[in-house]
Amino acid sequence: MATDATAALGSFDEYGMAPRSSRWAELGRHARRNPLGVIALIIVVAFISLGAVQTVSHEVFDTAIAPYDPREINAPEQLQGPSWDHPFGTNQAGNDLFSRILAGARISFLIGFIAVFLGFVPGAFLGIVSGYYQRWLDYVIQRSGEAWTAFPVLFLYLAFITAMGQGLRTIAIVVAISSVFGGSRVLRAVALVTKQNEYITAAKALGASELRILFRHVIPNVMPVIIVTASSIFAVSVLAESALSFLGIGVEPGTPSWGIDLNEGLENGRFFPHLVIFPGLAISIVVLGLNLLGDTLRDILDPRLRGTLN
Amino acid sequence: MWRYTLRRLAFLPLILIGVSVLTFVLLRVLPGQEPAVLLAGTGASQEQIDAINDSLGLNRPIVVQYFDWLGDVARGDLGETYQGRRDIGAEVKRRFPASAELVLLSLAVSVAVGTSFGVISAVMRNSPVDYVVRLAAVLGQSVPDFFLLILLIILPSILWNYAAPIGGYVAPWDDPWRNVRIYLPPSIILGIGGAAGIMRLQRTMMLEVLRSDYVRTARAKGLRSTSVIVGHAFRNTLTPLVTVIGSSFTLVFAGSVIAERVMSIDGLGVFFLTSVISRDFPVIQFLAIYTAAVVVLVNLIVDLSYAYFDPRVVYR
Repeated sequence: MATDATAALGSFDEYGMAPRSSRWAELGRHARRNPLGVIALIIVVAFISLGAVQTVSHEVFDTAIAPYDPREINAPEQLQGPSWDHPFGTNQAGNDLFSRILAGARISFLIGFIAVFLGFVPGAFLGIVSGYYQRWLDYVIQRSGEAWTAFPVLFLYLAFITAMGQGLRTIAIVVAISSVFGGSRVLRAVALVTKQNEYITAAKALGASELRILFRHVIPNVMPVIIVTASSIFAVSVLAESALSFLGIGVEPGTPSWGIDLNEGLENGRFFPHLVIFPGLAISIVVLGLNLLGDTLRDILDPRLRGTLN
Repeated sequence: MWRYTLRRLAFLPLILIGVSVLTFVLLRVLPGQEPAVLLAGTGASQEQIDAINDSLGLNRPIVVQYFDWLGDVARGDLGETYQGRRDIGAEVKRRFPASAELVLLSLAVSVAVGTSFGVISAVMRNSPVDYVVRLAAVLGQSVPDFFLLILLIILPSILWNYAAPIGGYVAPWDDPWRNVRIYLPPSIILGIGGAAGIMRLQRTMMLEVLRSDYVRTARAKGLRSTSVIVGHAFRNTLTPLVTVIGSSFTLVFAGSVIAERVMSIDGLGVFFLTSVISRDFPVIQFLAIYTAAVVVLVNLIVDLSYAYFDPRVVYR
């Protein structure tokens, strides 16, 4: 990509323009201007790779990649403070908390991933299409989205639990539906504005087909919004899963999940604060990374959008 | 406006009947643990389970059960909980004040902190104050409120060996000091967490409004900058703000499950949570239609308030 860009820019020299910097230099400039964004990027990349590795390891080897087994009960080791052997201490069941937090990245990652790729992306596409064409589809999606968001999310989730029992699947479904509506609402609004642009009229005048306009003009122009909103949807979904698991109505008890760890810490937190601090920090740092990354990307990708979302 | 209100209200019974039929049928038809099995406990015989089903009336046809229940509700009898056979109406009445006070107080803190810092941040745009406020807002949106509430419980006990009173409900007119000690600290924590979203929205809208022509005109005719900001700019950001507050306002009546759970407050949110887990059908049914009614009414009030905050909005 970098060479393509410089090759294309080279032709501008014939018109006496100063050579522009390469993509990498541009990235470096953004990085220097946004030190917080760099930290956020490191957090998010670390979290996503950890989550992906744990998911693969769970699916293939049925175990987590961690120094100790995060699930096996080990009573003699229970409720130890942080030490060299157990950097985050151990919990009530004698599990190494550090291992549980490493393994817990799987659930947070999975839920965020499902929310973004099975919920948000299709929802965003629906939103763009319905905002662009504005036919009955638009009406149906908007009204059902309004009905869904009218209720507190937790009530909807509890309704789903009564209907289909608790577990990862139920969380994934509710989070995905919420993300479909979230994505369609935001992208519809952006598509409505985008289609007013003169370059769309120009493309129409040149005889471009509706599909070509949609894929070559509308979608590339709303891409920054898609990327920025995806990171906030990811953050919200990670928070939602941890809240549900914290309430004891999320993933099955015993599963390594940061919300479950925090719930177990509630009882003994007064005497063993490490039980609460480490899972709480894990959730906070990951969500903070995702939110900060979204903010930074918004500033870089599209300065016009600065502060217009949320 | 009255015709509009009446038309909207006419839909309310329809929505409530729809929600009640839906919850009633789904609870009984979809697979899931039978309440009688949960009530009988492990190792109960089939006869015991049948006897419980008999006494709860769960072995009758769904249609009969539904109209029986509807008749009772129409007469003001909400029925009894399966667990402990308590009167649901009395239970809701007992739990409501605790839920409402917690959510109202935290909402008040959210609105006060969120709007004032949103305005300050927009007016002092790109200054160090703006950066600090925005960073705090991102932090507020990222750190889960239940983590903060747990820290609120454990940190004082670790640092100063002080355990704040939690749980229970004391009406503010009975023992104001105790009420404040139980409800104010969690409300401030929850309120500051919730302020983050309001602050970001407020800042965005203020920036938009501050660029508009009528603000420039107000400045040009020599108005003091405070009256420009408060009287002209802020006033025009109220409509979206009311929408956001309205969506949280539902929780005043429904209760905040997480906060009640952490602070051991016996409110409506926890009532719903435990009823879902123990599959207490009459409670779930009532709370479902109750929440639906609250959502519809709050949305109506929010819609009507647009006409008050923005005279250009007219309902017919």
